[in-house]
Amino acid sequence: MTSFQSTLGEESEIAEELAESQRQISIAEFFEKNKHMLGFDSGARGLVTAVKEAVDNALDAAEEAGVLPDIYVEIEEVGDYYKLVVEDNGPGITKEQLPKVFGKLLYGSRFHAREQSRGQQGIGISAAVLYSQLTSGKPAKITSRTQGSSEAEYFELIIDTDNNEPEISVEETTSWDRPHGTRIEMEMEGNMRARQQLHDYIKHTAVVNPHARLELREPKEHFKFERATDRLPDETEEIRPHPHGVELGTVLKMLEATNSHSVSGFLQEEFTRVGSKTSDSVIDNFRDRHFGREMAWEPPRDGADIAAAVSDATANKGADATDAFAEEIAEALTDHDRVAYHQIVETVSDAAEAVGDGFGVTFGSTVQENAVEAAWDAVLGVSDEADEDVPDGRRRADLYGLVDEATSTRKDDATVESLASRIANRFRNDEDDRDRLTHDELAEYVDWAAERTAEREDASIGDTARENVVEAVWSVMERVPDEVPKVSDLADNRDASSELLDAMRATDIMAPPTNCLAPITDELVEAGLKKEFDADFYAAATRDAEVTGGDPFIVEAGIAYGGELPTDGKAQVMRFANRVPLVYQRGACATTDVVKDIGWRNYNLDQPGGSGIPNGPVVIMVHIASTNVPFTSESKDAVANIPEIEDEIELAIREAARDLKSFLKKRRSMEKRRKKQDVLTNILPEMAEKVSDVTGNEQPDISDAMARIMNNVRVGRDLKENGDGQKVSVTVENHSNASESLEVTDIVTAEPTGLSDGATAVEMDGEWFVKWSVDVGSGDDATLTYETDTDASFDLDVDGVETEKLTVNNEH
Amino acid sequence: MSTDTNADAREQLIELAAEFYDQFEEGDVPQMTLPTRTKSNIEYDEDENVWVYGDRQSTRSAKSVRGARKLLKAIYTIDFLAEQLDEDRSSTLRELYYLSESWETDEAQFNNQDESNQLIEDLEIVSEVKREDFHMRPEESGAKVMGPLLLREQTNRGDRDIHCQKDVGQGGYQIPNNPDTIEFLDNDAEFVLCVETGGMRDRLVENGFDDEYNALVVHLGGQPARATRRLIKRLHDELDLPVTVFTDGDPWSYRIFGSVSYGSIKSAHLSEYLATPEAQFIGIQPEDIVEYDLPTDPLADSDINALESELEDPRFQTDYWEEQIELQLDIGKKAEQQALASRGLDFVTETYLPERLSEMGVL
Repeated sequence: MTSFQSTLGEESEIAEELAESQRQISIAEFFEKNKHMLGFDSGARGLVTAVKEAVDNALDAAEEAGVLPDIYVEIEEVGDYYKLVVEDNGPGITKEQLPKVFGKLLYGSRFHAREQSRGQQGIGISAAVLYSQLTSGKPAKITSRTQGSSEAEYFELIIDTDNNEPEISVEETTSWDRPHGTRIEMEMEGNMRARQQLHDYIKHTAVVNPHARLELREPKEHFKFERATDRLPDETEEIRPHPHGVELGTVLKMLEATNSHSVSGFLQEEFTRVGSKTSDSVIDNFRDRHFGREMAWEPPRDGADIAAAVSDATANKGADATDAFAEEIAEALTDHDRVAYHQIVETVSDAAEAVGDGFGVTFGSTVQENAVEAAWDAVLGVSDEADEDVPDGRRRADLYGLVDEATSTRKDDATVESLASRIANRFRNDEDDRDRLTHDELAEYVDWAAERTAEREDASIGDTARENVVEAVWSVMERVPDEVPKVSDLADNRDASSELLDAMRATDIMAPPTNCLAPITDELVEAGLKKEFDADFYAAATRDAEVTGGDPFIVEAGIAYGGELPTDGKAQVMRFANRVPLVYQRGACATTDVVKDIGWRNYNLDQPGGSGIPNGPVVIMVHIASTNVPFTSESKDAVANIPEIEDEIELAIREAARDLKSFLKKRRSMEKRRKKQDVLTNILPEMAEKVSDVTGNEQPDISDAMARIMNNVRVGRDLKENGDGQKVSVTVENHSNASESLEVTDIVTAEPTGLSDGATAVEMDGEWFVKWSVDVGSGDDATLTYETDTDASFDLDVDGVETEKLTVNNEH
Repeated sequence: MSTDTNADAREQLIELAAEFYDQFEEGDVPQMTLPTRTKSNIEYDEDENVWVYGDRQSTRSAKSVRGARKLLKAIYTIDFLAEQLDEDRSSTLRELYYLSESWETDEAQFNNQDESNQLIEDLEIVSEVKREDFHMRPEESGAKVMGPLLLREQTNRGDRDIHCQKDVGQGGYQIPNNPDTIEFLDNDAEFVLCVETGGMRDRLVENGFDDEYNALVVHLGGQPARATRRLIKRLHDELDLPVTVFTDGDPWSYRIFGSVSYGSIKSAHLSEYLATPEAQFIGIQPEDIVEYDLPTDPLADSDINALESELEDPRFQTDYWEEQIELQLDIGKKAEQQALASRGLDFVTETYLPERLSEMGVL
């Protein structure tokens, strides 16, 4: 180790040495060292993330081109590595763009776009390429064919991490059987320990993308997910950013890039929901922040002092003209309740023009300036001749009035007096003679004055009182007419840009439009669930768009229950953001939090302790579509806890769950009924048998009693010989508490004649379908009669009544 | 036993089954209607001076799973009873309970003996045939009688003449299940003395109380069996003997007196046949606890509840009982019969009973 002695004298050398080793690091190099931020932290996870990135890209590409996505994913063990192949039927990528898309981080078309899309940063797929080259040392092999080209382009490339540029090792044309699309092949270290997550990812992707066909072939298993719809998601329109949803860095970049010169043009061109009116409001707010406002003082009621002062300050213009000039100014100013400096400038210039024209004299700029100063001093009452004892002039009295009104009546006069005096003092001593202040500066005046007053006069002036004083003064201050800076001036003025951003945020602006979002829609959420989960019940809800931080978003929820879903354990919660399944960091996600907070017992689900993920055969899915999904980290695994989003998630889930509740209620009552029926169909026949034993009679017919007990609808057939043929009666007895509408079909092997009660018969392949629609009130019955051959056989089929509530007696 | 009663009982049972049959055939839900068997549905029969069931009815209907199970058990039991009568055999209530295990359907099996006992009572009510005539008997037969009474009992082994003092041991004469098989031949008895506990009965017998006062000492053994109550009733009705009841001084014992005197809620349908409304309560009265300064136990919560529920029991709504029960609630104490021994072993036979009996006008 070097001793301090030797180094102290050589400080500059050390600094130089250090400087030598300091250099800019490329983004690629940074991520090389911080793989975990992008979801490549382990071999198991890396493989899933690579699949996810490639599939997300593929879906985006196909949808953008208006093609129903058809995506093939293959994972194959190759020696120590895994080979990942992802193919899509997208539009393909041009030869020029291709290396950059795959071989350069942060290269993408979407980062600046306000539009719902899966990828946003342009990191994903190139990060996967980077991960593969880092772990296997092999280049990524990419094939792409654009629509109409006869051959496909083939590249082998790696990312040069030093300067974040693609390094192409092979570039050639090749033939490919897909008419258009892209194929990427990467080799990487990895393992299949995250097989479940991989399957989940693909399966969940299939659920929220019912228009996509997906295929996964991995070393052990092979899945195909077919389409549930041929409807592509609605095309989204890119929207410009909303003034409430941008940050300073973005504003600076936008200022740099815009073609507008004026701030007004910039606001209207680059932002959504900003028209000329809104833009004016923003600019007004910007003026207040950038220039401040000018204090407007009450002018003396009698204009004589002003006229005299102006007259004194004006030389060589002839007595009449001078007097007229002074009178004009004095009159105009005393007309105002309050006068600010820029209003005096305006008044003087107006008077100069009017009086000058009348008298044929010119009041030049020096004369005008002198007149302005004289009039201003007269308004403030601080002219040289004024009493030296009251240097504050009229300011103090004016402020006394404002302060007195703004503070509570409990403040004693002396305190108000001191406070007003000190504020007036600050105005007088300000470098800016125009009494021009920003809101912050004004607040500082008032604070200072209040502190002093508290210190010296031992009076307490609280925060609320101070704020009231600030607002009272600020409200009489006048906005200045100064020209706002041009865009070119703002672009490299961080402070001014920040003032503009503040002004944008302070202005009320309509919420952004929502045509930039493409929700899956409740209908297709349900279809997606039906496709992938064999359940008894499905429900879905899509909420209306809402806005957070200038980004519109829509939340959708779906619920599947029962059927083949596993009954033991907790409900499966599927989270999606912009149609991308989120498979990691479940616990950190706003969606999970909301699901846990809902009282599922209200919806007839089992929830131990009344909170947490409910138990039972349930799948709960939540999809958040937004122009900018707020993730907790770059790896996009979990949605941040934004209150507006959480509220919508809850409402969407509750909406879907309402249907679940009524379903479960009905199901439970049907289950009870079924159980009862099961027991009774066991007991009653045994009872009947025993009764006939004891009495020595034949076994009684118990079906009527049974139907009555179960409040069922009983449909039975009765046959009676009638000459050559037989008379058939089909009777519906409604023992339930409500009227029922039935669709009865009796399939007869011989032609039926004499159909009663509006029934119809249709022949098909030698069988007659006797169809009879009938409404039977509670406790009533109805009978269909017809005649047919004696050797006919029958088969009764009844629709319109739940099977649990139906007793069909099909005997002849 | 005559085959006539057998055939009669059998007929009644089959009629019941036929009713079910008809209900099935009519497409009606099979059901069985019974008087509601709770204390709120018993009323005083002025003619017979006993408490009988009121007008409220409960329906056992196959509309509910529970009701259907009950009816299934009923028809199985009817079948069994009919067969038993046919073969002129008998069985105990407990045997019926176990027998149900052998029935081919699980649904017909009894869950516990209370259920089968209750079903037999239900059948008694709807068929108006007594359990004894179904040849159903309780596990434990009636209690014992000691006193100057000569009777003739029909047994399976022929008629026997028995004198209830001379022909029996220290234990007394065992009352058969169906006391209607007894014929009274002769007696020197002055009154009937029913005693709750075995210990007290033994004390009275040892002290020769039956001999000295010509008392028929009947051991109740807790809640008296039907046979015991029936015999008491017959002793009163046929021999015109006054009936007195001597129990512990607590709410449960008052119920024992109640069932001798007024009939029990469970068998109110048989009150006319079992109850002896003229029976008189000797004690221990709450009044005696105070008067004789007997050793006591404090009333438990369940005792207090029982006393309060007795105040609402129509059978106990007489001035005498209201006064006694309220007194007991007031002093918060109860005493056993044997507590009289605190005044010496002979106190009960030499002082307490003679005093009480003369007070009551029996002696």
